[in-house]
Amino acid sequence: MRPLTQGLRAHGRRLRGKAGLSLLLLTSFLALHPARAASGSEAVRPLRLCADPTDLPFSSSQPGTPGLYIELGRALARSLGRPAETVWQLTYFGPRSVRTTLLAGLCDAMIGLPDDPDFMGPKLIFSAPLMRIGYVLATPRSHPATTLEALKGRRIAVQYSTTPHSVVGARDDMTAVTVLEPDQAMQALAQGKVDAAFVWGPVAGYMNRTLFHDAFALTPVSGPGMTWPVSVGFSRRDAALRDQVNAAIPQLRPVIAALLAKYGFPVDASAASASAAPAASPVHLAAASGAAPAQSDAAPSPAAAAAPAVGGAAVGEGHDLFNGTCAHCHGVDAVTTERRINLRLLQHRYQARMDEVFFYTVTHGRPSKGMPNWSGVFSQADFTKILAYLHTIQASE
Amino acid sequence: MPNKRAQWKSCVAVAALLAATPAGARAADAGDWPMYGHGYDNTRFSPLTEITAGNVGKLKLAFAFSLGSLRSNESTPIVIGDTLYVSSSWGPKFVYALDARTGAMKWKYEPDIPDDVLQYACCDVDNRGVTYADGKIFVGRLDGHLVALDAKTGKELWDTKVVDYTQGSVITSPPLVVKNLVITGFGGGEYGVRGSLQAYDINTGKQVWKTWTVPGPGEPGNDTWKGDSWQHGGAAPWLVGSYDPKTNTVFWGTSNPGPWNAAVRSTGTSDYGKLTNLYSASTLALDADTGRIKWYVQDTPEDAWDFDGVNEQVLADLKIDGQTVPVYMKADRNGFFYVVNRDTGKLISAEKYVPANWATSVDLTTTRPVEVSSKRPTADHPAKDVCPNLIGGKNWQPMSYNPDTGLVYIPSNNVCMDWKVSSVKYRRGVFYLGGEFPPVPGPDGYLGELIAWDPVAHKQVWGIKEDLPFNGGTLSTAGGVTFYGDLHGIFKALDAKTGKELWSMNVGSGVGAGPISYSVDGKQFVAVVAGRTVSLAAFVGGIGEKMLAATPEGGTLFVFSE
Repeated sequence: MRPLTQGLRAHGRRLRGKAGLSLLLLTSFLALHPARAASGSEAVRPLRLCADPTDLPFSSSQPGTPGLYIELGRALARSLGRPAETVWQLTYFGPRSVRTTLLAGLCDAMIGLPDDPDFMGPKLIFSAPLMRIGYVLATPRSHPATTLEALKGRRIAVQYSTTPHSVVGARDDMTAVTVLEPDQAMQALAQGKVDAAFVWGPVAGYMNRTLFHDAFALTPVSGPGMTWPVSVGFSRRDAALRDQVNAAIPQLRPVIAALLAKYGFPVDASAASASAAPAASPVHLAAASGAAPAQSDAAPSPAAAAAPAVGGAAVGEGHDLFNGTCAHCHGVDAVTTERRINLRLLQHRYQARMDEVFFYTVTHGRPSKGMPNWSGVFSQADFTKILAYLHTIQASE
Repeated sequence: MPNKRAQWKSCVAVAALLAATPAGARAADAGDWPMYGHGYDNTRFSPLTEITAGNVGKLKLAFAFSLGSLRSNESTPIVIGDTLYVSSSWGPKFVYALDARTGAMKWKYEPDIPDDVLQYACCDVDNRGVTYADGKIFVGRLDGHLVALDAKTGKELWDTKVVDYTQGSVITSPPLVVKNLVITGFGGGEYGVRGSLQAYDINTGKQVWKTWTVPGPGEPGNDTWKGDSWQHGGAAPWLVGSYDPKTNTVFWGTSNPGPWNAAVRSTGTSDYGKLTNLYSASTLALDADTGRIKWYVQDTPEDAWDFDGVNEQVLADLKIDGQTVPVYMKADRNGFFYVVNRDTGKLISAEKYVPANWATSVDLTTTRPVEVSSKRPTADHPAKDVCPNLIGGKNWQPMSYNPDTGLVYIPSNNVCMDWKVSSVKYRRGVFYLGGEFPPVPGPDGYLGELIAWDPVAHKQVWGIKEDLPFNGGTLSTAGGVTFYGDLHGIFKALDAKTGKELWSMNVGSGVGAGPISYSVDGKQFVAVVAGRTVSLAAFVGGIGEKMLAATPEGGTLFVFSE
């Protein structure tokens, strides 16, 4: 049975259960500037977009968290001078949901389909690519993976039936830990149940950004079945609309870049890596990505092995923060006789995963054990300083 | 003229039914069609003899009844006394109780099936019928619920959630009632489920036993899976079961394993060794009281072709080499017709009943197919022109066995396939590589055939070639007639010995369901549900389009008599 999870998708599924029929054809009407003729009588037809209502980071019917494809759809509609409407349909059976909505005329376009003529072609036609997305290897920042070989003997979370499942599952020198949804792979990583997650980049990037405070390094992967261009899909009857969208895409490039950064979608590996993948391995990893994975080019890669290099001043500030708050339970200078809350044993207990266990714990708490969630109290910078201090006092047993 | 042998046989059949029916049940009547396959043996053989090969040409419509639901109507009606119970598609959207003579409605059950079920259901919105026992009607639903209704009024007595439909699992087949237990499986292997068979108390709906069809750690057979692949192994028992009261054994077939890439759950080659992925693509023999797996026969080890092993086990006593042997017979998806001693589990024969080229034969000692290595697809090596297609030599449409002719009447398919890794698959925003099975017509230009098969001599005696695959199930009668409907919507009666067509009627939509025959007040009726599939066609490309074009969707019960 699929395990319950606090992940985004499971949450969306539970919400969906209450909505029933209304969700199937729920429309979110975002009329902005309906063009009117001088006589004032004619309204412009909305641009109807099909989307999955419980599919963050891509799309969601929850108004506060629309998802990248919904936001992009609104921008696209605006640039076409039309209001946007959404037609919701779950996409567990992708081609079937495309057939029953887009190809049945219930919507005009669907953002986020793979730009590949073999995908439901010739019934489906595509715009120019909007972006390129693919799989990443997510690992603790203290141990970024530069090759798949570096993960020999390790446990790697993979989503059932995806390309990484095939790659890892077929090998005997690493252990596939199989989950049904990609957010479960990241949760398993955060909980220390696996050493890496080899998972769909947009989900990894979004969770890394919004849940895990960038605790993980995301290394894009290239190779067969690892990355694809993403487009807007249309029924082949709608070549005229497709052409309009193509004309609008160049102006939308800044919006796309901003959305990629906002949602934490990792940069495409094949853009960064050389053209030829080594013949020996089907998986070619790009160089370890920088601290802000969603921005293209630029960011320098951190040193591979050690904890993030932080100056002495930060350690001192972290010490003060610790003694000001954490010490109330964990002891001044983290000295305590209670082994289970002895933070001087973090390195001993978690080894390479110390950092992300720390980040996860302080941002989620352990309610049953009396540890609060401190995200509302401390900033990311505060946490980093406290961690820097803790690193200086680890027991050396 | 009454056929004494048929009457004696029907008495034996009734006695066997009585021995296994729960306490307080009404006595089964020879004119009934008491369960999906007529009896626990799933032979679909009616002992009635009023309609014969000689007079079937006079058959005419007694009544028609609209099921109130289009698309994929696959229901086998059941008849108890003078009441006929039939279900529709979409949930079922309706279950009806009708006067079996006139079609007058006695009650209808209209459950609240969530509107979003289709977004989760892997395949089609079909329902293959309901089950009667102990004054109750049992219904398996697309939303994963099993309910019990009062057979007189249609009111719900209990409602049990068997499985969560949001994990892609649905119930589409009628449950099997054995003594005080209601046994059901569920479908959904496409979505990474782990299959199981479960039994519920007939009066309360509480679960009594549950048997995973993919063994967990510590259970025998768990080590036939690589790594953690057993957790999402599939092997869902989504079709119907059979039961032998003599040994108190339930027989049930399981679906294919997942995921598509066999290298993640086994070796990925024909040298699978121990990694056969039990109990996928198998027949299981289980103890009815506890659900314990007594033995199994696996039809397709380390399946790479989507050959579900769910097809029904038909129980019969066959004369083989001078001995009467209790067997089950199974026309498997993989193109082989299995005859197995159902007391001991020993494989007696497995011969090709349709063109099949992925294996040359089945080794009777080890039960393992002798594979043709070029026909086993892998992630690195596509396979071309593999027969049969994943829809199988036979799909869910039921076969029947006539003990008078000694023949099994199989609605078979003659479609092959290429197999390759797709360039992209899409699900919930995620893209990935997956297996693709574009269909290829089978040899010799026909896509389906009604095969009259001799299970002892293991050869075809006659056949009716069809231009489309996926034709309807068959009914055999002691009057010497075989009935079936094709995908053009033509419902036909054939001479069971020769295959000569004796009568036909256009019922307006393609037929998949199995026909039945029953008798009330001495008058014999033949009934069939018409209403062709929709979803299946999507799996078979251009052939599927022909299937859809042949007739419109439908949803009507037709009942004939003389």
